[in-house]
Amino acid sequence: MAMMPKRVKYRKSQRGKMKGNASRGNFVTFGDFGLQALEMSWVTAKNIEAGRVAATHHLHREGRVFVRIFPYKPVSKKPLETRMGKGKGEPEIWVARVRPGQICFEVGGVSEEMAKQALSRVAHKMPIRCRFIKRRHAI
Amino acid sequence: MEQKTTLNAETRDQKGTASARVLREQGLIPAIIYGHKKDPVAITLNAHDFSEAIHHGGRLMELKIGKKNESIIIKDLQYDHLGKSIIHADLMRVSITDVVTVTIPIEIKGTAKGAAEGGVTVANTSALEVECRVTEIPEKITINIKDLEVGSHIFAKDIQLPEGAKLKSDPETLIVSCTTVEEAKTEEQVAQAEPLSPEVIIKGKKIEEGEEAQAEAKPEAKEKSKEKSKEKE
Repeated sequence: MAMMPKRVKYRKSQRGKMKGNASRGNFVTFGDFGLQALEMSWVTAKNIEAGRVAATHHLHREGRVFVRIFPYKPVSKKPLETRMGKGKGEPEIWVARVRPGQICFEVGGVSEEMAKQALSRVAHKMPIRCRFIKRRHAI
Repeated sequence: MEQKTTLNAETRDQKGTASARVLREQGLIPAIIYGHKKDPVAITLNAHDFSEAIHHGGRLMELKIGKKNESIIIKDLQYDHLGKSIIHADLMRVSITDVVTVTIPIEIKGTAKGAAEGGVTVANTSALEVECRVTEIPEKITINIKDLEVGSHIFAKDIQLPEGAKLKSDPETLIVSCTTVEEAKTEEQVAQAEPLSPEVIIKGKKIEEGEEAQAEAKPEAKEKSKEKSKEKE
């Protein structure tokens, strides 16, 4: 089942604009390795779920996978063969707004080689270019 | 033990985003030095030399600013949105006798005993705050997890710190744990548990008992006013 909020204030939202880079959630916090977005895009709940499944399958319950993005934005769509007008369509999908620098997934408790393989499988499920990064040492 | 790295720095007069951007394009890093109850000094550092020094684990540094020499430690670093390059550094003046609080990274060594029994080792904390002398800042704290069994944990208080170092973080901070992973739910189970659409939060207050009576009384009052207006007509 795809991710979506449990409770919302409004069922539908406007499309909005995305600008700039990620100023929060742009470094590895929970795991040891992460997958960082290099482009700006909406990432659907389906994409996220596919990525999560790909990583957990590859890790064989060895390490731990952290999902750092959540699809909180509803995207509505008009049904097929419908004339224009008659109001906004019904919410169809849920998306996460991802900006360059955002850490989408993290992996912990496994070797670097294993994490690289798992996160490369996740990257293939993402609609954007991503890169593999390690946790930064504390200063 | 810390090795002192020597770096060249220059003071800068121009401050602000635009001038900082120009400096970064020239391969410099804007930085500031403060501490020891002296005025803060804005400086520039060579980006390559500074990042090399950090990469080699240097924390205590000697800065040559013109004819002056200052001993500093790195207090904070700001990175760009991709975490690739340093865009600003906060440096604090120190003397050799000073005791400072620093964050030391934790290195986990070995494989947990519980891993063979189906447990998963998860590092919950990656660094600890430690108080020590400037000259005795440890590079890292190494933890051996060979004896870690399923369901057991290692807390900050259990770690043996290097000589001269005193723990500043909460002693109850969880460092490593070895736990079993729950079996993944089947698609049917998940579909049953989760609703198809989210619940919408409805605007307005909840009507309480006292307000209920008022709410009931209001429609009556409205009806009376309507009757009055009819009579007038």
